[in-house]
Amino acid sequence: MSYIVQPDVVKYACTCGILKPISNLYFCRHCLEIRCSFCVCHEADSHYCGKCAENLPSSEARLKKNRCGNCFDCPSCHQQLTTRAANVGPKNGEDTKATPRKVFYLLCLLCRWSSRDVGIPDQSAVSGGWPERENVYANRLQEIQDMYKGIVLSDKQQKLEKDKKKQRRYMSFTDRTGITASMLRKRVGLPDVPHPLLKSKPKEPTKAIATEDVEPFLEDLLTQPVNLSLITTMEQRLVQPELQPTTVDKLFPIHKHLSVKRSQRCRSCEHNVSKPEYNPNSIKFKIQLFAYYHIPEVRLITVEPLRAGKVSELLIKFINPTQHQTTVTILPYKVQDDLTLEECKSEIAQQPEEKQSIPVASSQPSSLIHSSLSRQPSITIKPRSVTVPIAASIEVPNNTFILPPRDDAAEYDDSGDTHNIQDDPKLVVWRKSNKAVIRLKIIPESDSKIGDEVVVGFIMQHVYVNTITTVDNKEPQKYEHKIKVFLKLGGLVGNE
Amino acid sequence: MPIYEGIGAITEKLVVVMDIGTAYTKLGFSGEFSPRYILRSEVRCKETGIMRNIRDYKNERDLYDLLVDFLHVLYFKYVLLSPKDRPVVIVESLLCPTVFRETLAKVLFCHYEISMMLVVPSHLVCLASLGIDTALVLDMGFSEAVAIPVCHGLPVIHAWQALPFASQAVHLNLKSMLTTSNTGISNLTEWDLEDIKVRCCFVTPRERSKEFGKPCPSLTVCPDVKYPIQGSRSITIPGKIRETAFEVFFEEDNDHQCMSTMILDAILKVNLDLRLQLAENIVLMGGTVMTPGLKSRLKEELYEQLKNERYSKLKIKVFKFHSPPCKDNYTAWLGGAIYGCTELLGMKGLSRENYLKENRLPDWANMRDNLRTL
Repeated sequence: MSYIVQPDVVKYACTCGILKPISNLYFCRHCLEIRCSFCVCHEADSHYCGKCAENLPSSEARLKKNRCGNCFDCPSCHQQLTTRAANVGPKNGEDTKATPRKVFYLLCLLCRWSSRDVGIPDQSAVSGGWPERENVYANRLQEIQDMYKGIVLSDKQQKLEKDKKKQRRYMSFTDRTGITASMLRKRVGLPDVPHPLLKSKPKEPTKAIATEDVEPFLEDLLTQPVNLSLITTMEQRLVQPELQPTTVDKLFPIHKHLSVKRSQRCRSCEHNVSKPEYNPNSIKFKIQLFAYYHIPEVRLITVEPLRAGKVSELLIKFINPTQHQTTVTILPYKVQDDLTLEECKSEIAQQPEEKQSIPVASSQPSSLIHSSLSRQPSITIKPRSVTVPIAASIEVPNNTFILPPRDDAAEYDDSGDTHNIQDDPKLVVWRKSNKAVIRLKIIPESDSKIGDEVVVGFIMQHVYVNTITTVDNKEPQKYEHKIKVFLKLGGLVGNE
Repeated sequence: MPIYEGIGAITEKLVVVMDIGTAYTKLGFSGEFSPRYILRSEVRCKETGIMRNIRDYKNERDLYDLLVDFLHVLYFKYVLLSPKDRPVVIVESLLCPTVFRETLAKVLFCHYEISMMLVVPSHLVCLASLGIDTALVLDMGFSEAVAIPVCHGLPVIHAWQALPFASQAVHLNLKSMLTTSNTGISNLTEWDLEDIKVRCCFVTPRERSKEFGKPCPSLTVCPDVKYPIQGSRSITIPGKIRETAFEVFFEEDNDHQCMSTMILDAILKVNLDLRLQLAENIVLMGGTVMTPGLKSRLKEELYEQLKNERYSKLKIKVFKFHSPPCKDNYTAWLGGAIYGCTELLGMKGLSRENYLKENRLPDWANMRDNLRTL
């Protein structure tokens, strides 16, 4: 499919104003709008390892720092490492008849880096306990971090204490009689309670001590010849930010980074437009509201050579992907239309307008504590205006045409058309099952030059049958949905 | 919130800490001691398929689109979290352009709908890992070197010094030197140059650099390096270039400014009482600082500059340097991660409601946020 839609000849305008081919668009069935990856809310769904296809719950992925516990990447070329087995015979002095042991090491099949190169001992188990490296400064940093936490916490407490003191309006009787609470405690024989402010005084961090000497200049640099194959590249260093090894003998295998499956959510109605299945092996979706399955697809068949100011014929094919018959009307597109963007859908007769009101995002307060339980409504971003230089006008046909529903069986049926549709022969050139080719007349603008790219735009209005049933509405509803479509027709070949 | 995000997500919020530098973005979580990822700050342009650096924006809208794409990659390829309703800590330079920080805030709050954002200045937070509150911080990144003194936990902005002496200057110098010594290698990319710089070049001691300045230097240069390019070809990098690529840092420009004067000028602009303390607490950070020999050369240069007349009123006898408990290229990020795991996030962070009320980010350069000092 991608190669049919790949050269982005036909683009649809998303609700947010970005032009994309139909394969990159979603169609939210709940608010009947086109959405694209820019204007939906992306969410991380499930974590999995791309090599062993194991999926991890997000809490476990977090513990493992988003890395797979068993798979490794090559620190030298960042490809996957494979575990290799080797037989080790009995060592000298041991019983020579003992069976050879199996040991395992890691090997990169691309650059031949192996864990033996850097002196990592071979392991006796396949998945086995490869040594992990630790940050040498971990203790000191932990200490500092705890201290900063303490300082800020006591700051916060002091502030709270201050607020509390302000609120206290009544007088304590013990203060009047000259017996303070602490005196009373002493008299009764209870231990004194230390002052809350004094108690929570945090430990001051031990300050780092600056020294006069810095890393000395290494005289070796001047005399030793450089062997580039022993010095790591920037990529190799930055893959391990903690260690940043400068020489290849300090490269250590890297745990493979996890990948994530994403789900997309419409920002205005909070429904999912795409949700993958949890299992990383499955490429299917639980929810897939792709525009490709709901919106008639437009394909460019052919166009006559374009000459400025002259009429050229344009043949385009419409394909109805839905299970319902639809009627397509072509409306003219003007650039100014964007500024006064009207509602692009309208319900057809039968039902009075009843749209659920979309909650206004900013009106609801968010709190850090509960927001992980309940979703905050999204902020709707103001759509951009479509900015495409239209360099040709279209003679808009007066008639509409019908696209029959999609029928998978008809794809293999060569017997011909079974539909009896009365078409305007000037408009519809060819028709088969759910497809129709129509003829349009376009006139490139007379002031454009040879070689200029000609783009035409029109508004496609089609009838969309919404099969989602709500409580008070069991019947599928029909809507008229409008989409702006833009076709790149290629360069101008001649003048008048 | 997807149901797969288990109970763990409820009990504790993961705070993403990012330091979006000109060349590299440091990305990780608060409470950890090193960033998880150090990535190039670039994203693939959807129309042309070319990698574009996020600082090469044409206008605000272009930057918005770039940042949306860039953050999408960060979140869904690396962090693997939904950004929605999660806090973020941003480490940024005090001299970050307003358009960049405002657009970043807009993208994070409006497009990714994060719940809270804490912006911390890199020069201040880098001291967190050292546990000190007064130091002279010199940040040598990709496009410029910025020195800002921090006194008792407050960055002294009026004493700031910035010069375009950082990676980029070295790359330009290296490129011009290489093209004169090798023919037909005009197509070296920025990343090739960086690789040559990192793997072959170093900062030579002061006496050798002086000797190089003479018409016929009487010293043995370090050995040449054959550097392979694009698999089949190779270029020779002469020893002299290896040693002198970084000399741009120490050559005084027309205003008699160089790396060492930056530090001393910054000290000069600070109150008399703090000068000695600053000279004894110098913190160097940024990827360029990791070059072999740079620190020792800077020290030499500083002592040399002290003999100069314009610094005669400085009574500094000794310079002392800190060595942070991390690699120099993520010192600022580490500070952000330490700040991010404290309660400070809830106290000082900008929440989404507050952002949407005013639609702007508090800024030190804005009088509305800075009335206290008046």
